[in-house]
Amino acid sequence: MAHALCPVSESLRLLETALAGNGLRFPRARRIVEDLQLLIRDVASSRAGGEHLETIDSLLVELRDFAHAPSIDELAAALSRSLLDHRETFVSHIETQNCAEGVCKNLVPAPCQMTCPAGIDIPSYVNLIAMGRDAEAIELIRRDNPFPWVCGLVCTRPCELMCVRGRIDQPVSIKFLKAFSSEKALSDRSYRNPPKAPDTGRRVAVIGAGPAGLTAAYYLALKGYHVRVIESLPVAGGMTMVGIPRYRLPREVIDLEVGMLQELGVDFHFNTRFGSLVTMDSLKEEGFEAFLFAIGAHSSYTLGIPGEETLQGVHSAVDFLRRVALGDHRTPGKNVIVIGGGNVAIDAARTAVRLGADNVTLAYRRTRHEMPADAEEVEQAEQEGVHLSFLTVPVEIEGDNDRVSALKCLRAKMVKRDGSDRLSPVPVEGSEFFIEADAIIAAIGQQIEKECLTLITDLQWSRRNTIVARKVTMETSVPGVFAAGDAVTGPATVVEAIGGGKRAAQAIDRYFEGIPQPTLPPVPRRRARTEWLDIPAASRMTLRRPEMPLLSTERRRITFQQVELGYSENTTREEARRCLRCDICLRCGTCVRVCRDQMGIDALQLGYFDFDNPGPTDFRITEERCVLCGACAANCPNDAIRMEDRGNERILSLCGTILNRQPLIRCQSCDAVIGPARYLDFVQEKTRSVSRSHHDTDVRCNACVRKDAAHSKADNIALR
Amino acid sequence: MSQFRKGQRIEVYRKSDDESWEPYMNTYIGCHGIVTDPDTVINDPDAVIEVSLDGHGTHRLPQDCLRPVP
Repeated sequence: MAHALCPVSESLRLLETALAGNGLRFPRARRIVEDLQLLIRDVASSRAGGEHLETIDSLLVELRDFAHAPSIDELAAALSRSLLDHRETFVSHIETQNCAEGVCKNLVPAPCQMTCPAGIDIPSYVNLIAMGRDAEAIELIRRDNPFPWVCGLVCTRPCELMCVRGRIDQPVSIKFLKAFSSEKALSDRSYRNPPKAPDTGRRVAVIGAGPAGLTAAYYLALKGYHVRVIESLPVAGGMTMVGIPRYRLPREVIDLEVGMLQELGVDFHFNTRFGSLVTMDSLKEEGFEAFLFAIGAHSSYTLGIPGEETLQGVHSAVDFLRRVALGDHRTPGKNVIVIGGGNVAIDAARTAVRLGADNVTLAYRRTRHEMPADAEEVEQAEQEGVHLSFLTVPVEIEGDNDRVSALKCLRAKMVKRDGSDRLSPVPVEGSEFFIEADAIIAAIGQQIEKECLTLITDLQWSRRNTIVARKVTMETSVPGVFAAGDAVTGPATVVEAIGGGKRAAQAIDRYFEGIPQPTLPPVPRRRARTEWLDIPAASRMTLRRPEMPLLSTERRRITFQQVELGYSENTTREEARRCLRCDICLRCGTCVRVCRDQMGIDALQLGYFDFDNPGPTDFRITEERCVLCGACAANCPNDAIRMEDRGNERILSLCGTILNRQPLIRCQSCDAVIGPARYLDFVQEKTRSVSRSHHDTDVRCNACVRKDAAHSKADNIALR
Repeated sequence: MSQFRKGQRIEVYRKSDDESWEPYMNTYIGCHGIVTDPDTVINDPDAVIEVSLDGHGTHRLPQDCLRPVP
């Protein structure tokens, strides 16, 4: 892989090279280059403001006046070119306080933030939660995601898969921290909308009230646009409302967070199907100038087996879950078979249990190992009594009096096909068997209902039946028409839809402003710079990720009460303190190398630094070996590792983890700090032939020793 | 082609032939990452899957450009 280059750090390097060389003979030119270096260093270290680029531009104009000096001319030309070609990157550094390439050391986003499809500043809000500042944490989250509580309950948490703490033991429980904090802040009534920008007088129509549409509506409303959300269902929330069962996501949570959009003036038109009750032409007549299609993927794939179309008692999982979500709590049957192995299949099976089914079987073609559903969801389904039938291929639905009576299946075996590492299920001939059933629910995938958009003839569709849109801006093939969510990605996650909705809102704003659209995905924005919390190395190592307390299995089988009961306050604060603060420590390994290779001490066992091959980590080892020489801290590019004297101790810490603390020895004459005994031993060992031992009863600093020696010498001279 | 599972380490080892590949994705060739959301329903080799690339964010990519990292 090519080494990443950042135009900001490249410009800084050019300036540093120029200043180190002999080409800047004119004092004024040198002064300008020094000023440029100062300003660009600000850009590269999150200290730049809105006027920095303008000042840089004018200084470059001034620098070009020294055209009679070729080296200055070349420098000015190179810098101007960089600023012109990569202006977006310079602006991004200032606005986001992050360097996408991870080159500018102070601006490298933490892996969790970089991973989050919505780009939430996770380390900052986790730290705020650790400090008990829940309202601030939620305010920070909502700058990138208007639905912190929804995501706290149902996010697929890709951030946790990339969490660096997971390389040591278990990732930080980011999702559950967010859920706790959202609930607390809402309960305290400290959950408020930010102020809106002045009214722009422009109108945007959002078709679909799912997470993508609502997210776009929220950010557009904040920017002062009039937003109308058009929804065919009678409620807002899209798949979060009608696809995710209430035992995972209570309706009140969605209603409360959607209510905050209504407070911002977002206008909801429910029970309104786009393409029939309203059209693009009718909306244009009303003054709408931009459109966002976030219609989701609410249609199901069919099984394509005999009996599916003709017998009563065959449902699609999406229809079944929607009916239940909208209040139809009739049991689908006593013996229910759900076909599929994904999260929707698990949701359907667990819902069927709660509606009173005696036997719920989940039939899946492959093995547990290949099952794409979330492992925790599968486990909870089994606890509730769902029977999993693996290597089961449905071939026909049997009926009795037009009603489903059984599912005819074949056993499968997993076979590797030529040229592929994938194991595919192949039915075993003659292995037919029947599972008794009076209801069959198919959960084998969803697709987009494109009929409502057929009138928009210029809209391009992919071969996967999704709307073709640029992922960076969510622009479609029709000017002024944007798309986001499952309608673009196919069935995906809530947080991806939120990320897409946010990008669409930004692109719609640019569309109205007439400014060019970005060409690269957005860089997540650093929302705060919070100080770390001190924590002893032993605590950092031994705190364990807590288990989520669950509702009793008995109650889960008969009610739709929320299954995950949430962390307690103490558990939440402790869990938040497990965060390693990767927004500060870049895991560059300089400290480890300096300690091991330069100082020959090897006191830092930080195996989590390596993404591909993490090794063992133990923060406690440092205290055994470290001499507090400070070489690691002096060489840390980001001040993540610090050595400081507090009271009578010298303390070495890494992002708040106290790696070593040793009592200080003070001069008996002047009380100045000499250093910890261990460090003095280390120095003495290296300078044995010339230094005094600090173990002498007379402990004095070098200044006092010199002073006494000088006095003594003067006395001797005087005596002579 | 391999079958990808959640949490699996992968490498973007080549440009995809799929229509969903956009020019900016060329910069991801050579990047390592983790599968954060495989096709959640049918293990379709044709599905675009969600991967998080170390230092380059989370994206839905076609599977023909990915391979597992041992």
